[in-house]
Amino acid sequence: MPPPAATPAALLVIGYGNTLRQDDQAGPAVAEEIEAASLPGVVTLVSPQLSPEHAEAVAQSRGVVFVDAQAGPDQEPRLRRVRPGESSQVTTHAAEPRTLLALARDVYGRTPPGWLLTVPAVQFGFGTELSPVTRRGIARAVEKISRLARMKLAGARRP
Amino acid sequence: MSQRIVIDPVTRIEGHAKISVFVDDAGNVSGAEFHVVEFRGFEKFCEGRPYTEMPGITPRICGICPVSHLLASAKAGDAIMAVNIPVAADKLRRLMNLGQLVQSHALSFFHLSAPDFLLGWDSPAAQRNVFGLIANHADLARAGIRLRQFGQEIIEVLGARKIHPAWAVPGGVRSPLSKEGAEKIRAWLPEAFATTRTALDLFKRVLSTHQHEVQLYGNFPSLFMGLVAADGGWEHHGGNLRFMDSSGSIIADQIAPKDYLSVIGESVQDNSYLKSPYYLPLGSTDGVYRVGPLARLNICTHMGVSQADAELKNFKSFGHGAVTSSFLYHYARLIEILASLEWIERYLDDADLFSQDLRADAGINSLRGVGASEAPRGTLFHDYTVDRNGLLQKVNLIVATGQNNLAMNRTVAQIAQHFARGPEITEAMLNRIEHGIRCYDPCLSCSTHAAGRMALLVRMIAPDGRVLHEVRRD
Repeated sequence: MPPPAATPAALLVIGYGNTLRQDDQAGPAVAEEIEAASLPGVVTLVSPQLSPEHAEAVAQSRGVVFVDAQAGPDQEPRLRRVRPGESSQVTTHAAEPRTLLALARDVYGRTPPGWLLTVPAVQFGFGTELSPVTRRGIARAVEKISRLARMKLAGARRP
Repeated sequence: MSQRIVIDPVTRIEGHAKISVFVDDAGNVSGAEFHVVEFRGFEKFCEGRPYTEMPGITPRICGICPVSHLLASAKAGDAIMAVNIPVAADKLRRLMNLGQLVQSHALSFFHLSAPDFLLGWDSPAAQRNVFGLIANHADLARAGIRLRQFGQEIIEVLGARKIHPAWAVPGGVRSPLSKEGAEKIRAWLPEAFATTRTALDLFKRVLSTHQHEVQLYGNFPSLFMGLVAADGGWEHHGGNLRFMDSSGSIIADQIAPKDYLSVIGESVQDNSYLKSPYYLPLGSTDGVYRVGPLARLNICTHMGVSQADAELKNFKSFGHGAVTSSFLYHYARLIEILASLEWIERYLDDADLFSQDLRADAGINSLRGVGASEAPRGTLFHDYTVDRNGLLQKVNLIVATGQNNLAMNRTVAQIAQHFARGPEITEAMLNRIEHGIRCYDPCLSCSTHAAGRMALLVRMIAPDGRVLHEVRRD
């Protein structure tokens, strides 16, 4: 039999974005820093974009944080709850957090609590250089996830 | 009064990719334009870098078909070095490309397209989703995810990563297939075959009740282009270019990919940076060609594996000459999955794949190198010009979505001509135009990831710029 595709996690951190589009790499950068920190119970995934097969890992986790870059007025990372969408239809090659949560619910019968952590981003040109605001945001985002992971491990229900 | 309908999918980074449907004075649809993101920025960004870095850089163009860029880039590097890569390296690259075809086609069929035709074009959007799919076709959605994972497993087994493996290099590949990896793939194959056969059976039943869609969804004469083997067989990573017309006549054959500029021209559309390739000898109007699964199955005589060859025979029965309906891209995609699985099974018993002779080494022996490979959506060209130090002076990438651009225009126009009812944009028309585009599985997310679900903004605009009607689908 083929092996199961995902490892159960107390907290799954999915960082997504294009690592060659400057600040768009914020999500992967946060996930990689979390991975390097080896937090107990925390599993990370890095992907250029969310896609349906991530639903299996999402369904197997006890909580999931989607980390993405976001252009806009925010100067600080924002952590907010994200709930499953009504529809689990993937309409393009890239899914979004609420669609993945819905897909986990519809296909695997279980969806964990989900959060979206957005990192402020200002430049999306070709290249690997980060803007100062995103560099600072990545560090703050890592702190937020670390706190959330500790709370999850301690049995807290909300961040 | 002439009018224009605009369907405007908004993404965060690339800006706009949109569909404009033109309406003539009599209120009839006269044409359409589908604009997608272009890659000139990426090409510029790569100038000045060593060509050896390109297999590491160019896969970042896309999160869905990175392997296609990886392999085309490595092949362009082979040409700059002017080497023949080891037999084992060629077979291993092919194995990875087969995994890529499986995973990408599975996403297109099971997740993007099947809910539409299995649940009905006019069913409420809330039901035309995977939940609805599960309710009506138990286990199919889950099996579709598993099939995609199988293709990605092959990529990971070979390249150590599911996405963006830094594995193929100019001159060959970095590592062979491990015995453990081969067994992992072998153990999964029966399930992958079973899922594919189920999907094929299901789609054939769909075809029997969807003749209207077969007639209307991009059913028009055009040319078809792709790679074929020397004997005319199905090819996905080697061979030469073949062009076929809709009567089934081969109009150009065995054109070496390095000579692609002798048969492919690029036209420019207003309001779009994207160039639209066409068959050069016939010009941009008559030289429209399609690439991808439909084209590959049209131009090949056989696939070299028994189950897929039986399906190919059935597929060809849908055409008088070539199969011209883009709705049959779905069928072609499933047949290619089946062929890929059969070829993967065959490769697992090939001792070459475990060889350690994997890489040819050489300096810069040619200042230009072209690599071509069949990506899931069609033929992909990487064309590099370097200086004596191997630094890139010029990069030209021709991707499948661009090559299908003119055909997508015609598909949208054909659907709109049938379903447009005056200036009002109906749900029925929107659903069908969306699906017409999905037949080609265009890669709108290339270069970056989309910001969530793509919003659709449909506008009907008068010549003076007034918006007569607007529908937004978030």
